[in-house]
Amino acid sequence: MNIEQTLKDAEQFLAPWAKELLHPEANRLDVAIQVDDLRAATSALLAAHWGYLSAITGTDLGVEVGQLEALYHFCNGPAITSLRIHLPREIDACLPSIADLIPSASFFERELHEMMGFAFHGLDVSSRLFLPDDWPENVYPHRADFSPDRAAPVAGRRADELPEQGVVGGNTFVIPIGPQHPALKEPGHFEFTVDGEIVTAAKMRLGYAHRGIEKAAESRNWIQNLYLFERICGICSHTHSMAYSLGVERLAQVEAPPRAQAIRELVAGLERVHSHLLWLGVAAHEAGFDTLFMYSWRDRETVMNLLEQITGNRVNYSANVLGGVKCDIGAEQAKAVKEGLTYLETRIRHYLEVVTTDAMFLNRTRGIGTISREEAEKFGLLGPTARASGLSRDVRLEAPYGAYHHFPVSLVMETNGDLEARCVVRLKELLVSCFTMRTIVDNLPEGPLTTRMPRKIPAGETVSRIEAPRGELFYYIKSKGGENPVRVHIRTPSLCNWVSVLEKAVGHQLADVPMLIAGMDPCFSCNDRVVTVNRPSTNETWSWKQLREHGIEYYKR
Amino acid sequence: MNKNNEQFWSQIIDKVRTWARLNSIWAVHFNSGSCNGCDIEILATLTPRYDVERFGIKLEGSPRHADVLIVTGPVTRQARERLIRTYEQMPEPKFVISVGSCSISGGVFEGCYNVGGSVDEVIPVDVYIPGCPPRPEAIIDGIVQLLASLKGGEPRKMARPANVEEMPA
Repeated sequence: MNIEQTLKDAEQFLAPWAKELLHPEANRLDVAIQVDDLRAATSALLAAHWGYLSAITGTDLGVEVGQLEALYHFCNGPAITSLRIHLPREIDACLPSIADLIPSASFFERELHEMMGFAFHGLDVSSRLFLPDDWPENVYPHRADFSPDRAAPVAGRRADELPEQGVVGGNTFVIPIGPQHPALKEPGHFEFTVDGEIVTAAKMRLGYAHRGIEKAAESRNWIQNLYLFERICGICSHTHSMAYSLGVERLAQVEAPPRAQAIRELVAGLERVHSHLLWLGVAAHEAGFDTLFMYSWRDRETVMNLLEQITGNRVNYSANVLGGVKCDIGAEQAKAVKEGLTYLETRIRHYLEVVTTDAMFLNRTRGIGTISREEAEKFGLLGPTARASGLSRDVRLEAPYGAYHHFPVSLVMETNGDLEARCVVRLKELLVSCFTMRTIVDNLPEGPLTTRMPRKIPAGETVSRIEAPRGELFYYIKSKGGENPVRVHIRTPSLCNWVSVLEKAVGHQLADVPMLIAGMDPCFSCNDRVVTVNRPSTNETWSWKQLREHGIEYYKR
Repeated sequence: MNKNNEQFWSQIIDKVRTWARLNSIWAVHFNSGSCNGCDIEILATLTPRYDVERFGIKLEGSPRHADVLIVTGPVTRQARERLIRTYEQMPEPKFVISVGSCSISGGVFEGCYNVGGSVDEVIPVDVYIPGCPPRPEAIIDGIVQLLASLKGGEPRKMARPANVEEMPA
C-alpha cells in the first residue's frame, strides 16, 4: 500500500473528530483534535488496525502563547499520523489516559506527566518516573520557564525513596535488586515480590542515569547536539546521531550524498554486530555461561577494530556530521571490513549452533518468558524482542531511510517468542547485516562525503525513525529557524520493551529474572522511567519468626 | 623487647598485606549515570583481548568485598546517595578510580539539571582516567598506576587534571 493511500485511510477514520488536517511532510498527517475526542479517535485507529502508537511528544509552546501541546504519533509503515491536542498552559492541563486502550502508552503518559506537567485522568502517578523523589512538586523540567534553581531538593526527602529490604506483605517477600548489583551492568532498581521462588509482582524504578539531555539540547546549537545525542547511549551511539542527523537534514531540506548514506549504513551495521555480540555475552553471563561470554566478547573486538579503523574511535564514533559523514572507506578499510566480516560470519554461525544446541543454555532459554504475537502487539514491543514473537516490526523494511533503499536488509523473524527465539533472531540478524555490509563495501557509490548545511535550520518539525539494534528509535525535532532546536523528543526502544520484562517476570522463578531482563537487551542510559505492574495490595508486616515458619511450611508441601 | 617484637610482626603483616593486595585487586563497578560507553570498555578490559585478570584484577559484585571502586558517569542527583552508600560499604583501605570525562568534570552533560558534576565532589578519588570513553589500554594504565603507587605504601593521590573547567562541553 502506498503512503498516500495509507494516509487517506487515516484521514477517513479520523474525519469525525478532525478540527484541522495538515500534511506537514509527504509521509505525515497532522490532525488537530479536541481533548474530549482523543479516546474516540484513538479507538478508531485501533479498530481499523491503523499502525501502532510510537510515541507521545509534549511541547511547551511558551509562556506568551500560554499553551501546551501533546502529539500522539501513530506509525503505519512509513506513514505517520499525529493527533495534535492543545491545552491551556496551567498546572492542571488534563488529558484522558489511553493506557487502558494501549498498555505501552502508560510509559509515555507518565513521562509527559513528570516532564511537562500534563495531568491524566485514570493514570496512577503516585510514584515518580525518572525524576528524583526529592524533586519539588509542580516543577516540570521541560516547561519553557523551568530553571534549575527551582528544582532544589525538597527538605526531608531522599533522592530515591525505596522501601526497606524484606518488607513482607501477605505471604510474599520483596527482593530489591539494584541500583548497584552484580546482575545489572547499569543502574536500575527492581523490586520483585516473591512467593518462595516464584515472582508474583514486579516493580521497577529507574532514573539513576537520567541526565536531562532533552532539556540540555534546547540550549545547545545544532552541531553541539550531534555530539550530545551520541552520548545518550554508548552502545548505540551511531544510531542516535544518525536519527538526529537525518531529522535535521530533512528540516533543512538537504540530503546527504549517496556515499555518505552508504557509509552511515555500514557503520550502523557494524554497530549492530558489536551491540548484539555484547548482548550475547551479557545474556550468556546471566545464564552462568561465562565461556560464551568470553568468546563472544573476544570476537566483538574484531568489529571494534573495524570501527576504530574506519572512524578512529571504539565507542562514540562520531562518524556522522550534519549533511554527511566524516570518515571515508578506502581500499584498505574495505579489505579489512571484508576480512573481518568473513571471520565474524563463521563465528556467528558457531554461536547460532551453540544457543540452539547447548543443553544447559537451552534449559535457561527454551520456553522461558514466552511472549505471543498478540501480547507483543498489545505491549507495543519493538525490534528483535518483537520479531522473536512473530511481529514484523523493522523500520529498515517498513520505512527505509538513508541507504536502506539501495542496500536493503531482509526480515528475520521467529515465532516461538521465548528467550531462545530472541537469541536466534539477533544472531540471524547479524548474518543478514554482514551480507548487507559486504554488498555496501563492494558497491560503495562514488562522490563527496558531505553537503553544505545551513547554520540555522529552517523552522518546522519532523519525525525521524530509525532501527537501532534494540528496535525503533524515534526522534521528534522542532525548529524555529534559530541556531538551537526548540524541542527534541526522543523515545528509545528499551522504553517500549520494558513491559515485556515486568509482565513476564510474574510467574517465573526469580533465577530466570536476570535472563528475562537480558532477553530484551535493556539500555538504562537510553531510557529512564519507571512503571509498576501487578503490585499486590496486601500490606501486612510479618515478624522474622512468622516468616521462617512460613518458609518451613512452604517447603514441606 | 616485647614492643619491638610487636612492631616487627606488624611490619611483616603489612608487607604480606600489600603483597596480597597488589596481586588481587577486586573491583566493584558503579555507574552513576554514564552513557554506558565507559562501562562497556571496562567490561572489555576483563575479556580475553585485554584480560586484566593477568594482574589479579577481578570484578566483584559486592562492595563489601572490594578494594577498588570504579565509577563511571556524571553523578546524577538520584545516583549520588547510592554512590556514597556503596563507597561507605567498602572496607578500608579503599581506592576510587574515576573513569571517563563526565565522571571527572561532568563532560558533555555539564549543566544538565539532573547532573551534579564530578565524582570527586562526592567521594575522594585516587585515579582519574580521562577519555570519552577511555580506551581499555588507558583503563589498564590507570589501574597499573594505582598498583604502582600502592607499592610504595600509601597511594599517591593523583592531582585533579588541570584545565578541567576550560574543557569544551
